[in-house]
Amino acid sequence: MKVKMISRNPDNYVRETKLQQHKLPRNYDPALHPLEGPREYVRALNATKLDRVFAKPFVCNLSGHRDGVSCFGKHPKLLSTLATGAYDGEVRIWDLANRTSIRNFVAHDGFVRGIAYAGNGDRLLTVGDDKTIKMWSSQAPEPGEEEEPINTILSRHILHGISHNRRENSFATCGEVCAIWDDQHNDPIKTLKWGVDTLHTISYNPVETTVLACCASDRSIILYDQREAQPLRKVVLTMKSNKLAWNPMEAFNFTVANEDCNLYTFDTRQLQTPLKIHFDHVSAVTDVDYAPTGQEFVSSSYDKTVRIYHAHQSHSRDIYHTKRMQHVVCVAWSLDNRYIFSGSDEMNVRMWKANASEKLGIIRPRERANFNYQEALKEKYAAHPQIKRIARHRQVPRHVLNAQRKMRAVKDKELLKEANVRRHSKKGKVPYVSEKQKHVLRQDV
Amino acid sequence: MSDDEEQYNAVSHKKLLQTISNLGNVQHIRKSTRDERQQKQDEFQLVKSVNTAEHAAKAVGLNDLVQILRTSKHIETGKKLKNVHSTKKVLQKPLEKPAADRIKRTIGYESVSKKLGRWDAVVAKQRSAETQIFPIPTETIYVNTAAHSNAIKTSIKSELAKELQASNEKLRQLRKAQIGDNTDEKTLAQQEQELLQKKMNRQELYARRRELAYLKMRESQKSAKARMQNKIKSKKYHKLQKRQKILEQMKEFELLQKTNPEAALEKLNALEKSRVMERASLRHKNTGTWAKNLQVRAKYDKDVRKDLAEQLAVSRQLTEKKVDTDSEDEPAAVKMEANEQVDNDPFNPWTKVKTAEKPDTQTEENEPNWRTYWTERNKNEKLLAKHRAEIEDAKLEKVEKLKVEQSKKQPKTKSMKKKKKSVSAVENGWVVEEVKEPPVKTQTIEDIFDKHEENIRQKVAKKLEKLRKQAEKLGQPSKKGKSIKKKRDELQNLKDLTFKKTRQRVEIDEPLNQDEEQPNLAAKIAGELAKPQKKSMESEPTSAETVIDPNKVTTITWKQKMHASDAMNDVLADDNEADYDEADAAAERQLTISQAFEDDDIIADFNKDKTKDSELKNTELQLAMPGWGSWAGAGISQEIMNRRNKRLLLKLAAPEKRRDDNKNNVYINETTSKQARAHMVSSIPFPFTSMADYEASIRAPIGRNFVPETAFRMLTRPAIITRKGQVIEPMDESELVKPDRRLRHIVDRRIDRLQNPLKATKVQ
Repeated sequence: MKVKMISRNPDNYVRETKLQQHKLPRNYDPALHPLEGPREYVRALNATKLDRVFAKPFVCNLSGHRDGVSCFGKHPKLLSTLATGAYDGEVRIWDLANRTSIRNFVAHDGFVRGIAYAGNGDRLLTVGDDKTIKMWSSQAPEPGEEEEPINTILSRHILHGISHNRRENSFATCGEVCAIWDDQHNDPIKTLKWGVDTLHTISYNPVETTVLACCASDRSIILYDQREAQPLRKVVLTMKSNKLAWNPMEAFNFTVANEDCNLYTFDTRQLQTPLKIHFDHVSAVTDVDYAPTGQEFVSSSYDKTVRIYHAHQSHSRDIYHTKRMQHVVCVAWSLDNRYIFSGSDEMNVRMWKANASEKLGIIRPRERANFNYQEALKEKYAAHPQIKRIARHRQVPRHVLNAQRKMRAVKDKELLKEANVRRHSKKGKVPYVSEKQKHVLRQDV
Repeated sequence: MSDDEEQYNAVSHKKLLQTISNLGNVQHIRKSTRDERQQKQDEFQLVKSVNTAEHAAKAVGLNDLVQILRTSKHIETGKKLKNVHSTKKVLQKPLEKPAADRIKRTIGYESVSKKLGRWDAVVAKQRSAETQIFPIPTETIYVNTAAHSNAIKTSIKSELAKELQASNEKLRQLRKAQIGDNTDEKTLAQQEQELLQKKMNRQELYARRRELAYLKMRESQKSAKARMQNKIKSKKYHKLQKRQKILEQMKEFELLQKTNPEAALEKLNALEKSRVMERASLRHKNTGTWAKNLQVRAKYDKDVRKDLAEQLAVSRQLTEKKVDTDSEDEPAAVKMEANEQVDNDPFNPWTKVKTAEKPDTQTEENEPNWRTYWTERNKNEKLLAKHRAEIEDAKLEKVEKLKVEQSKKQPKTKSMKKKKKSVSAVENGWVVEEVKEPPVKTQTIEDIFDKHEENIRQKVAKKLEKLRKQAEKLGQPSKKGKSIKKKRDELQNLKDLTFKKTRQRVEIDEPLNQDEEQPNLAAKIAGELAKPQKKSMESEPTSAETVIDPNKVTTITWKQKMHASDAMNDVLADDNEADYDEADAAAERQLTISQAFEDDDIIADFNKDKTKDSELKNTELQLAMPGWGSWAGAGISQEIMNRRNKRLLLKLAAPEKRRDDNKNNVYINETTSKQARAHMVSSIPFPFTSMADYEASIRAPIGRNFVPETAFRMLTRPAIITRKGQVIEPMDESELVKPDRRLRHIVDRRIDRLQNPLKATKVQ
């Protein structure tokens, strides 16, 4: 039998050393390829469609908590480790690679309010509603031994959150006051106070590690410096901010998740107007976390969805939701920029891909080149209507659509009202105020 | 009433009033006495004692002490105390706590924002980078291994050289012993001195820094002063100031006239120019008080109207560009020449100017003022040029002459020189002018190019002018209060540091087009996805060209031109063209094309195309063929044939009216498919500002099939590269001081190599 197959002499196209030029079996003269544009367009279209076909972001569900998940702690060194705290005071530590819980213990009476790993990842700090800060070893105890904290600090004030300095051995808690602690002492090194409001979240700047920020219940964001005796500045927004995340690559930018369905990105040096307002959520935004590349961030909301934003764009790039996911309370972006974790009211921790259609597993160089080509094509033709339509099409739950419709109606109404008022009043009396300027009420010095 | 008055006792009444007033402020807490040292003072002890005048004795003041001391024998101490009391200032009360805290907070915030500002450059660089690699590659440390390596043991020197060296050494030692030669010591001393100099350098550095700080302080003081002065609104003050300024200038001018006539002349010119600038400004149109007053009356008075019109005309004339002043100057120059020869005072350079001016004013009295002004000015300039030339000549001669003579005789020689030179210079001027006559016009390609160049030059000149104006504006910020009041932009540094991205990417910042989630989702999506694919296949050929405005003929031709050249190169060279003004470029292109095709009758061609298109539709098809279906020979009537032919004539439907039938300049392409329209971009996407840019970004193919492998790799490089299983640490402080990363990746290196020659060409 004669086997017919294409055979090519490798000498014609394989170069002998890598220093040689690639041999060209092809004439690249553009005059000979009159349809290169259309062909690439079709390829881009197909790539976009395939992207949507393969967009299955949900990776797994980590179940084990017996109450709603309240907070996350990312291990700074190990990618497969994640600590989660629940409303019943239980802390679980997960092995993400095997999707199992490797350790669990009841850390506090009442809520676990915050979890933070120390800079090198050997210790875990938790704060709870029982006004204690507990320090745990990252190593699980021996099989016979009981889980016990290394150290327990009783705080004088109520605690709402904790954040660990990335470089030094100090950490900060918030509650009634912002307190800076050292791991050597049982008393805070410093307490910073401005007014008597409850501070419900705190976050250290990962780059300029002496700077930290809090969100207070009087709708304000307060900036601190660990070395100063006084807080630095306070910005009051129209509504309460729930969480705050610093951009890990741009030291001066941070984003807050606000109760008014928006997220605001600020530059620390210019607080009177946010750099960007990120819209699209239809209910209070509960948590925000930056990708380690600083290019994107993820936000969770009370509207049962998780959205991903480009740090400098005001509309979300993607939306994640499942039928059973309830109010999402906390969210985290893995340190290798590949996964997103969301913890929700219904006791589950979910793991998502950061890039919905990304292929998991080994990717060979040729495959990688092809993916890169597809990405480049998608990017190149991103503005073409058909491609845009397909790429940005998302199925969302009905309640989100309804809420959106409502919000739009309200917005339209307000706009109309303003326009009418403007029309019937003296010229210049009703000024045009940009959207950015509407949300910051004042800046306290 | 009278009874009351009798009973009224002033003293008791006063007492009563006092007791009543004191009822409220009875102090229940006694003021504590301090008997023991306490760390904390009880806040109740800090009560202010009420009406001290009544209860407690007045506190002992310094004056009392002085009084006592004066009476006693310590008169000296008393005096000293008094002195201290009168001369030394009492420290101010510290600020209240909230205010002090506020100050602390502002200072803290400022320092933190300054500290954060360090990252501007790094962030800007990261943002504009074409590809970002995470985790950020750590810096590699290069150790100079040569420094630690052992010295070479084998000697390089030959035997002979060694012996020579040894003998040299000996010689030196002998010298040292005999003559006291100390060459070595000298070198040592030199080295020491160098070291000292280095030290001095450091001190100098400090000194310089101090100096700079001082300068800065002075600057700030001055700016503060200027600000204060600007705030003064009094008209009188400004008037006085103006007058003062003018007086000062006059004085300066007089002084200059005596010391440095050339500079004085220049100054005079400058002054006049400023005056002219003022006159040419819009201020002298009809906005002045005089004009406004006249305007009121203009309705009723004819003469006034005339005056106003005249004023406007003058202003127009002033602002108008004067084209050929030189040709008009020529006769005047001749006259001047004659005059100069006659009445030139050889000792006074100023008389020359005056004499030159006089006849002009006489002869040109009938001309309007501005014209005389211009002629005067031109003359002045010429004279100045001459004067300069003379001075240079004089300088040359000076070298030869003795120093003693210089002080007295120089002006004489100078003026003598002037006489001779001035004639020749003017003559030269004549010659030059004659040559400059416009050549006969012949429209050739060269002309077109020349014109083009001229255009460009004009544009450049215009731009320069604009820039100069801007610079001037920037130069005098104190004149306008607004600029000072303007808030400082905190992010200005970051904005300044950002540079244009090397590869622009389309940014789509729109809400997702959301749809309701449905149960049989998969099937629906599959169906939906299948549909547009078919469409796209149909409309393939036209879809790629992003036709934003089909009516632009010029862009189409340009496109073809671009297409023929190497697209890759275009993309790479794109940033070269980037700083070139877009609008100008477009205009130019239009110009060149219209000029290049001047001979062709484009419009006729265009219309022909249009009719040709419609002609095709008009034709009737004759289906009958000669000989088919007909017998030959006699008896076959022509009529029957004709009838049959008529039957077989296929009449096409009546020609449709073209959509652009009654539009002369429009050609609507009716052959394009409507389905393709859905695939076309309707507006320029965000980061792009011009259609040309966007088209360029779309036009260049990136696929393996169309570009070489390396180019393909380069073009499809993702914007962010991360590695699996690696933790991406936040930005580190070492990033601030890091030198340029050594490029490991072959593509990176290639890109760098590609960019470097580009840079080199730019420099050239």
